[in-house]
Amino acid sequence: MQRYDYLKTIAGDVGDALVVSAGLAAREWQALRPGDGNFRPRTLGLASSIALGIALGLPRRKVMAIDGDGAFLMNLCGLPTIAWQNPPNLIHLLFDNQCYEASGATVTATVSGTDAVALAKGAGYRHACWVKSPQEFREEFLKAWKRGELGLIAAKVEPGQPELPPIRVDEVENKYRFIRHIEATEKRSILSPADHRPSS
Amino acid sequence: MDSKKAAQVIVQGLKKAGIDFVATLPDLKVVEVIGAVDRDPEIKHVPLCREEEGVGICAGAYLTGKKTALLMQNGGLLNSCNGLTTTCLQFQIPILLLVYYAGDLGDRGFTTVGSVTEPVLQGLGIRTYVLRKTEEVEETLRGAQILAEDSRRPVAVLLTKSVLGVK
Repeated sequence: MQRYDYLKTIAGDVGDALVVSAGLAAREWQALRPGDGNFRPRTLGLASSIALGIALGLPRRKVMAIDGDGAFLMNLCGLPTIAWQNPPNLIHLLFDNQCYEASGATVTATVSGTDAVALAKGAGYRHACWVKSPQEFREEFLKAWKRGELGLIAAKVEPGQPELPPIRVDEVENKYRFIRHIEATEKRSILSPADHRPSS
Repeated sequence: MDSKKAAQVIVQGLKKAGIDFVATLPDLKVVEVIGAVDRDPEIKHVPLCREEEGVGICAGAYLTGKKTALLMQNGGLLNSCNGLTTTCLQFQIPILLLVYYAGDLGDRGFTTVGSVTEPVLQGLGIRTYVLRKTEEVEETLRGAQILAEDSRRPVAVLLTKSVLGVK
């Protein structure tokens, strides 16, 4: 099973959740749940930290972070910070294919037995579990969604993804569309007017 | 001015600049500022384990409308360079960087990090202001935040021992 097989089971369940995902997963998620509520960082590891910032800024909005094992390992120090803040609206998903797939598929430390769920629990996540099938993934996801507490759901997956359309939105456009989407759905103004002139 | 009073001046300056979200990692010299941030009910404080995650957290908060600052030592600034480049600069996301300037004039033990701090910021294209006088704190923080928002880039304010009220 590949990550896409797991993600497609929940694409219809997440409503208007804000989703942060980097790397190859970003293209899959955009294909499965198109829209401007998807933010696609370019810094390996920072997706979960960016998702934390969004979750703290919008505490009544569901937020999801989609990590791979390379990103997860890169930002281990972010886990205690997330657990300490303990945002009830954040669900952290981890797809462990045991390699840096987007960077040429060199293996990661998880191939030696490093256990991401144990790391999350050790960092202070109260809820963290491995799932073994897309069906179990969806069940755990729906439980986490309903529970309304910080949680990590992790699955071992095979590398690879189906043929999918490329993302045509660049980083700056992604930022603006994401912010405008939040402005529209939260009915609040975030960006200053473009014709703003200081009064003095 | 003692360090408690200096911390109050800095935190008041942040609030007048509109900052309402601050991620921090301690240096001995900014402990009072972190304490003042933590006690302020109008500021959301996020203590960090490593500075670069703070870049991500502040960037995420910015997307939701928060005005963010990242308070750290200049060693932490060096830890943050990839995030600053590939998150802040690449996506045009502002953050006010409040950086304790270890290895500045008269400091012992940190001259190596001190000597690379301004060249690294210059290399990143991040505009940088060194804050040495308490009477300039408010105006500099306010001005730096306006620059950050208007340029949609991080702006760095280097905090020296004199404005922190520490030896």
